Amino acid sequence: MLTVEALEEYGADVRAGLSRCMNNENLYLRLVGMAVEEPAIASLGEALQAGDLDKAFEESHKLKGAMGNLALTPVYEPMNTLCELLRHKEPGDYEALYAESVAQIEKLKTLLS
Amino acid sequence: MANNKTKFRITEEKRRVLIVEDEIINQEMLKETLFGTYDVLVASTGKEALDIIREQNETISIILLDLNLPDMDGIDILKQIKDSPVYAHLPVIVMTADNEAEVECLTIGALDFIPKPYPPSKVILARILRTVELSEDRDTLHWTERDHLTGLYNKEFFFHYATQLDLYHKNAQTDAVVIDVNRFHTINDRYGKARGDEVLKTIASLALETVMEAGGIICRSEGDTFMLYCPHRTDYEALQNKLTFTIEDEEAGESHIRIRMGIYSNVDKSIDIEFRFDRAKMAADTVKGNLTNPIAFYDESMHDAEVLAEQLIDDFQTAIKEKQFVVYYQPKYNVRGEEPVLSSAEALVRWKHPKLGMVTPALFIPLFEKNGLIQELDRFVWSQAAAQVKEWKERLHVSIPVSVNISRVDMYDPDLVDKLMAIVRRNGLQYNELLLEITESAYTENAELIVNKVKQLRQLGFLIEMDDFGSGYSSLSMLSSMPIDALKLDIQFIRDAFRERKDTRLLEIMIKLAEAFDVPTIAEGVETAEQVFNLRLMGCDIIQGYYFSRPLPAEEFEKFIAHKNTLPLPHQSKKGRQLPHGDSYSYSALHDPLTGLYNHSAFDSLFKDADQEHIAVLIAQVDNYDKMKREKGGDYADRVICRVADVLKANFRSVDHICRLSENEFVVIAGRVTDAGKKMLLSRVDAINKTLHTQEADIEPVILTTGIAFSDRARPDGDVFREADTALKRMKDMKEFGYSIY
Repeated sequence: MLTVEALEEYGADVRAGLSRCMNNENLYLRLVGMAVEEPAIASLGEALQAGDLDKAFEESHKLKGAMGNLALTPVYEPMNTLCELLRHKEPGDYEALYAESVAQIEKLKTLLS
Repeated sequence: MANNKTKFRITEEKRRVLIVEDEIINQEMLKETLFGTYDVLVASTGKEALDIIREQNETISIILLDLNLPDMDGIDILKQIKDSPVYAHLPVIVMTADNEAEVECLTIGALDFIPKPYPPSKVILARILRTVELSEDRDTLHWTERDHLTGLYNKEFFFHYATQLDLYHKNAQTDAVVIDVNRFHTINDRYGKARGDEVLKTIASLALETVMEAGGIICRSEGDTFMLYCPHRTDYEALQNKLTFTIEDEEAGESHIRIRMGIYSNVDKSIDIEFRFDRAKMAADTVKGNLTNPIAFYDESMHDAEVLAEQLIDDFQTAIKEKQFVVYYQPKYNVRGEEPVLSSAEALVRWKHPKLGMVTPALFIPLFEKNGLIQELDRFVWSQAAAQVKEWKERLHVSIPVSVNISRVDMYDPDLVDKLMAIVRRNGLQYNELLLEITESAYTENAELIVNKVKQLRQLGFLIEMDDFGSGYSSLSMLSSMPIDALKLDIQFIRDAFRERKDTRLLEIMIKLAEAFDVPTIAEGVETAEQVFNLRLMGCDIIQGYYFSRPLPAEEFEKFIAHKNTLPLPHQSKKGRQLPHGDSYSYSALHDPLTGLYNHSAFDSLFKDADQEHIAVLIAQVDNYDKMKREKGGDYADRVICRVADVLKANFRSVDHICRLSENEFVVIAGRVTDAGKKMLLSRVDAINKTLHTQEADIEPVILTTGIAFSDRARPDGDVFREADTALKRMKDMKEFGYSIY
């Protein structure tokens, strides 16, 4: 069972996240649960593998937005960096950033179970 | 204002927010944030968003727009909203993490933005509320300051903004312009109000284009009147042309929309803004109905008129107190019998102003009608007139009813009936000795009220004359239901009927129609023998005008009363006109039976009657008439004469008198001939000759020899007729054809 405390320990800015949800803990936790199941996570990986940087940007942007709003800092940070690189198609280690993000999401998932 | 409205709105219905956002987590957060305060609609794609906007834009208070959507760019959606006249007013808040996009969105028309990651819910709520209220205030202001039909400013805000403009452009030369649509009411009548509204909208948008290009502001002040306050310029023709267009309709046909424009150029900014537009309006009114020259500038003469108007208003009370207003009487003659009989008089007010001398009523009546002083003046005239009727009755033992004018405002006076009753009783008169003239337009304005009041007055025994008939828009069918005792034909109507292209058909129909309803007709403004003559033939009952007499002071008027039973024939009237005696008005006595032209007798009186300083006389003879008659017979000669008569009639104006003097001699007396008129006249003679030179059916070409003479200020004693005759003889002697001028 996911708790606010566990999220704080994980590194999320829970206060900020809750403030965007009218301090509704239940909703906040439910949204975090939804975030880790985002289909965009998988499709971002596929796009990167296929070299479709436009698609990859779209998906990363979407994920960045959601993770940012939920203040899931450990996922948000690598995702934000990846998103900004993709926006201008700058060279960078996309795979590593993606792997880092996925790792953080996986970590969250363990908190959920 | 905003608070009251907020309270009002919240108790009634929640405002509705459209969230355009594809990311489900963000959607959920926003829903949670807005829930309870707003009614929320969600669109996950651009297409969904546009569908919802299309269907529900009227109830949407605000749109929260994410810029990254799966199917389209959020900026494109924003553009579509702001480009649409229907949706443009919807406030949009853009949600983005991209600073550059923020600026672009604000430029396109977004009112605010919410960054990503989102600020706390309460911040979002506060921003939404602020934006919604701002936008609602803006809308409220928009509709308070705007005319709903055209979207232009209304008059009050227009004046306010014009004053603001002055503050910023103190030294800029500025024009005040008033635009009116000519005969707009007829557009509404013919095409319906919806089409009329379309016309106003078209004018509004065309004029607005000009304002957009040239600067300034514009409003629709009322009805079909627009006002412009714009940088000074001299050429207004382009604008006038732009605002002239044509509308058509299968049933009602085609109609030209024409405007008139009054310009107070380079305004004096020290005078009140409203007065500046009064001046422009004053100029516009001078070209009312003028289709050839529909632009007028406020000038010195109008300024003088304005100053004079102010003075007259200031002097009014003193004038009443000091009895500067004098009532004059103009006789009305019954012309049904062999000889005209004085039937009544009309009381007409004159102002003997101590400084200005005689002031014409044409100047002060409209002025007093506008500001209501007319009521007081009317009461004064009624009392004076009634007292005069009484005085004549007592001293001269004769009852001459006098008609007085009841102004439009009087009709709305609840005490009108009592006031008139009191005046009649005070002077011991019968009700039918004070005739009441009520203008036709009063009837059409508030028919029910007027008809009721008139019924009351008639029940008492007052006789009602409907004044200015033909000037307003009452339908002829109204005549049957309207309580009136006489129909007074509008002076302008008479003038128009006898104008250059004489067309008395409508006049005749009106007289006949009145006859059918048993209502006698009175023609006023009758000036010439010809008019009396024709009106009488048409069946007009009573005639008033300079032909008989100008309005006179009571003492002078008495000469008509003295002769009431042996009334002066027209030849004893002021100008010494002479018409043949006896059956003076019978048609046959004055007309040539073959051609219908005036005969020799008519010529004598018409010639004496003519303004000797400005006439031309033409004497024309048919060449070889005797020989023709001998060889081809009398019938043929008659046909030739008829042909000549027809061609003459077709080429001269109604003010010109065409007479057949002898068998083959015609005379034309052309009145009011100016220098330009002389040229016209000669071209008419050329046209006549050209026509007669062509074969018409079995009539061979006819040659007219013509002598022409013009009367002249320089030789007022010259005998024009003799001179024309001399010119003709000269032509004959020289055996020339065509015309010769003395």
